This record gives sequence, C-alpha cells and structure tokens, in this order.
Amino acid sequence: METADLTHHTSRRFNEDLEKVRNELLQMGGFVEQQLYKAITALVEGDSRLGEAVATDDYKVNHMEVSIDEECSRILALRAPAAGDLRVIVAIIKTITDLERIGDEGEKIGYIASRLATMERPADKYREVKHLGRHVAQMTHDALDAFARMDSKAALKTAQEDRMVDEEYESIQRQCMTFMMEDPRTIRRALEIMWIVRALERIGDHAKNICEYVIYMVHGKDIRHTSLEDVARELDVAPGRNP
Amino acid sequence: MTAVWTFALARLAAVLLLGLILGRLAGMTGVGVVIAFALYLIWQLRNLYLLERWLRLRSQLHPPSIGGVWGDVVAQVDRLYRRKQYHKQRLAQLFRELRRSTAALPDGVIILGGQREILWFNRRAASLLGLRRPVDVGLRIDNLIRAPEFIRYLRSNDYAAPLVIRPPAEIESYLSLQLVPYGAGQSLLLARDVTHQHRLEAMRKDFVANASHELRTPLTVISGYLDALAEDSGLDAAWNGPVRDMRAQARRMNSIIADLLELSRLEVTEEEVPREPVDVPRLLERLQRDALARVGRPREVSLTLESQSGLYGAAREIESAFTNLIDNALKYTPVEGTVRMVWRVDAEGGHFSVIDSGIGIPAEHIPRLTERFYRVDHGRSRGQGGSGLGLAIVKHALQRHGGRLEVHSVEGKGSTFTCHFPPQQLLRAAGG
Repeated sequence: METADLTHHTSRRFNEDLEKVRNELLQMGGFVEQQLYKAITALVEGDSRLGEAVATDDYKVNHMEVSIDEECSRILALRAPAAGDLRVIVAIIKTITDLERIGDEGEKIGYIASRLATMERPADKYREVKHLGRHVAQMTHDALDAFARMDSKAALKTAQEDRMVDEEYESIQRQCMTFMMEDPRTIRRALEIMWIVRALERIGDHAKNICEYVIYMVHGKDIRHTSLEDVARELDVAPGRNP
Repeated sequence: MTAVWTFALARLAAVLLLGLILGRLAGMTGVGVVIAFALYLIWQLRNLYLLERWLRLRSQLHPPSIGGVWGDVVAQVDRLYRRKQYHKQRLAQLFRELRRSTAALPDGVIILGGQREILWFNRRAASLLGLRRPVDVGLRIDNLIRAPEFIRYLRSNDYAAPLVIRPPAEIESYLSLQLVPYGAGQSLLLARDVTHQHRLEAMRKDFVANASHELRTPLTVISGYLDALAEDSGLDAAWNGPVRDMRAQARRMNSIIADLLELSRLEVTEEEVPREPVDVPRLLERLQRDALARVGRPREVSLTLESQSGLYGAAREIESAFTNLIDNALKYTPVEGTVRMVWRVDAEGGHFSVIDSGIGIPAEHIPRLTERFYRVDHGRSRGQGGSGLGLAIVKHALQRHGGRLEVHSVEGKGSTFTCHFPPQQLLRAAGG
C-alpha cells in the first residue's frame, strides 16, 4: 500500500515531519470546506452576518498556507527527500495553493452573499446555485478524502465530476441571461449571481487540480492537460506502480 | 511408574535377551545384541516418523495407531489438539457474536489508537461518517473528519459532553460525537445521528420565538386601550377595579412575553458572546439605585464592592442576569428584611452574590429552580407577578459566559444566589 510507504523510513524524524504537514494540510482543508459551506448557507438563507464572518475569516486560510509552505521548504532543505517522498511534498505544496484559492473564492461568495442579503430574494431561493454549491463542496470533500486515503481511483472519479459542474455553470448562466432579458430590474442581482456561480465553477476546477495531485503523488504521473479517459485507461493498465 | 513404561522397559529387556540368546546360539554374542538394538531402533524410528508425519499433516490424517509409549504420546497430543480446537471454535463463535452485536448497535463505534488512528469501526460508523474498510484502518480520524470543531474537540481533552457536528457526507443532518478514553491511550469514539432531535429542538425554539413575537402586537393594542380607559373620567366608577386588574394582568403578560423572547434569543443565538468590557461596579451601583427607588422594598439594600474589576461579555446579558436575581431577592424579602449584594474577585474568577433574609426555598426545589415556569408553590410567585422565566434567563446568560449559578437557601431564613464567572472572563482593574 502507498500509505505504508510513509511508515517505513530509516529516519523517524523525517517521517514525523511528513506526517505533520500532511495532517496540517488536511486540517486546512477541513477549515476551507467549512468556509465554503458557510458561504453557501449565507447566500441561500440570506444571512448577511454569516457571509461577513466568512469573508473576515479568510485570513486564517492564508496563515495556514504560509505556515505549511514554510514547513515544506524546511523539509526540502533539510532532508532532501527523493522519489515517493519528494512527490508527497510537491503534491502538498501544490494542494495548499489550490486550497487557498478555494478559500479566496469562498470569501468572495461570502462577501457577495452578505450584499445580496439586503436585496429581495428570488422565489426559487437560489435553488440552482445551492445545488451547484453542494456539488462543488462535495467535490472538495471527496478530493481531500482521496488525498487522506491516497486513493487514486476516487481522485479520478472526483476529477471527472468537474465536467458536470461546468454544465451546471453554463445552464445557470443561460438562466441568468433569460432573467435579465425578461425583467431588467433583476440585472443587478443576476450579475451578482453570475459572480457567485463563476466562483463556484472555479472551486470545482481547484478541486479537480487537487485530485490530479493525488494521482501524481500515488502513481508518479503528471496528468495535467491529459484527457481523463486516457488517464483512466493508463491507471487500469498499470495499477499502483509504487517505486 | 505407569504400566506403559513398565511394559516398554520389559519389551526392551525382551528384545535384548532374545538378541543375547540368538547370538549365543550362533556363537556371536556381540553381533546378536547389536542386531537386536538396531531392530529396536528402527522400530522406534518408524514410530517417531509416523508421529512426526501425523503432526505435520494433522488436518488430513487420522492419528496413527501405534502401541506402547508412542501410542500414549499420540493420544495425549490428540487430546490437547482437540481441546485447543474446541476453545478456538468457542472463541471464534464468541467473537462472531460480539461482532454481530456491535454491528447491530444503532450507534457508530470507532476504536482509536494512541495517535487517534482508526483501529476498528462498526458498520453504522461507516455509514454515518463515510468510512471505508479496509483502507481507512490506520488513518488518523481527523484526516477524515476534518470539521474544525471536531479537531478542536479532539485537542481539548475535555470529553465530558458530546459534540454535535454536521457529518462530512450529508449537509442536512447532524451527528453527535463523543470520545471515551480508555486503557493506555486508546479511546472509543461514539457517533449518533441526532438530526431528528436537532430538528425538533429547532422547531420548538422557533415556535416559542414566533409565538411570543406574534402575541406582542395584539397585547400592545389591548394595553393601549386599557390605559386610555383608565384615564377616561366618563367611565362608570364600577369599572375602575376591573380596569385596574386588567391593566396589571396585561403588564404581567407583557413581561412574560419579553422574558420568553429574551430566553429564546439566548438559546437560539449560535454566535459567541462578544468580548465587550462590562464595568460591573458601575452597573451594580446603578442597579442598587434602581432597587432603592422601589416602593415596598426591604429596609436595607446594601452593595459591597470588594473589587473594581469588570467582566468581558455581553453587557445586556450580564445586566439581565443580575437584574433578575436582584428582583427575586426584593420580591421575596419582607419590608423589615435585608438584601445584600457582594461583588468579589479571587483566583477562581469573579463572584456576584445576592444574599437576602427572605422566605427561603425548600431544599427539594433548588435543583429545579432554573426550569422554565417552575414554581416552588403555586400561591407565592403568581401573586408577585413573576414570569417564571427569570432564573432560566440567568442560567442561560451565565452559561454563555462560561459561568454558573449557585443557590443556597434555608427555608424561613433566606437565600443566597451566586453567579460564578471563570477567570478568563475577568477584566482586571488596575491595582484591584
């Protein structure tokens, strides 16, 4: 198993260091997940206070990113890891960047949600946006689960979800355009909603990136800019090569 | 010496004797003995071989039928083996039953090791928390349940109360998690789905808040007209009494609704108490002035400020808690009695006490005092116009500040109500 890799080390200290940053990353992930969840709730329930709380709490995510980043640089400099360990560190460094961006998008959603709370809410109470929000929140969650379990299959499956997120995004976009054409008074609100769904769509992309890093970490394969079908085929042919 | 051994020795002696006799007959005594020994040895080796083969392939072979000491050894090994087999089966069966019963538990159970890594979990835990077997065994629990509150809970070392979180997989539900440490660093994590309870509780709170709010408007209209009627000089004098009573009752209803709203606000609000500085000595001086201005107050209402320290918290909630306690003391103390208020600070935090020489409370009622609408006896508080919610408000307000309420009372002698605040809520005054 790949996880066993982390426990068979000549240097116990190194192993502990690696485990520590991994835990910190997952903690940061948990916080980002919660921020995202709160931001969506703030929008759907028209809770301006919650939205503001999300926006002001974003600095915590940034702090976590900086501290994990420093820790990773320290490990790279002091221990000069190779092969699988190096890939874990590289994947962690990349993942925190995407997590931080997810945090930023969450902050944006929280901020817009607090502004939208003062406006009249539509009859459907942002049903589609809520659905899209749930979807990307679930994706983020699954991506982090795949990271924790070093599970490349789950990562691939989650990465494939991104296509559906894109479709949902486009459908909401079209819907917003229809609203704007039908009733120009809704333009302001529709524009704000566009910002939010755009942010959600970006979160989907970041979650997909995290999945790609998981596959890279486990298999040592860089699958960015490769079609997911090809990746699926490759992973089936050469399952779990583990240098 | 047992019979088998006597027999074995006799057999050896017989073989040797036979070898000796045959050797003597053939004229080569030495060769005869050696051959006899060799034959005996071969026979023993054969037995040993049979025994070894049987032990090696025990599951497929029947025990060999050999005589003598070897036969005894075979019989004893066989018995040991059967007994072990029997115990193994019983243990396995016991384990299966145990596993079945834990799997049938309505709650999720996870066994955690010293590093909070997952050692074992039952099926319910898997479905509640989205765990997967066998990949999740060995992973740290906080890698999979990443909710920040849960991580804080794990670090807090205070597992007396369960923690309620939203589970990772389903946003709409609520889970109650409780850690039970045992043995050397191990712990048990219990997970329970409390969505239903949570929803009922939320519904109840919403209902109380909404109902009180809805009652307020009609009541305002009624009291408005009653006030107008009371001042209407054209009204028949016979109505003066009823109108006065109606006004008093309307006022009482108003205060009940105000208290209900206050209580539900304290209960519903999830945000933390703000850390505004509250100047407790000035607040208490003001409350004392208000108390002294009351009609029919006890003869002596004193205030002792042993400290000039204040508190961090929500000024409104602290004031409402103190006011309720002082109100009660004034209400249940006769005119010739005394009410003393004391504010002091020590290493354990801040303490505000209200000590009265009133009618006191029978001991059996003390534990239930803070329940809403709880009355010590039906005659007494209704006449005083209390809402029955005062102490519930005090309890909630204190809880939100990390404090607690302590009640001492002797029937007929008086009561002491003390609010304890933890040190971290204290705002230390310079030099005091």
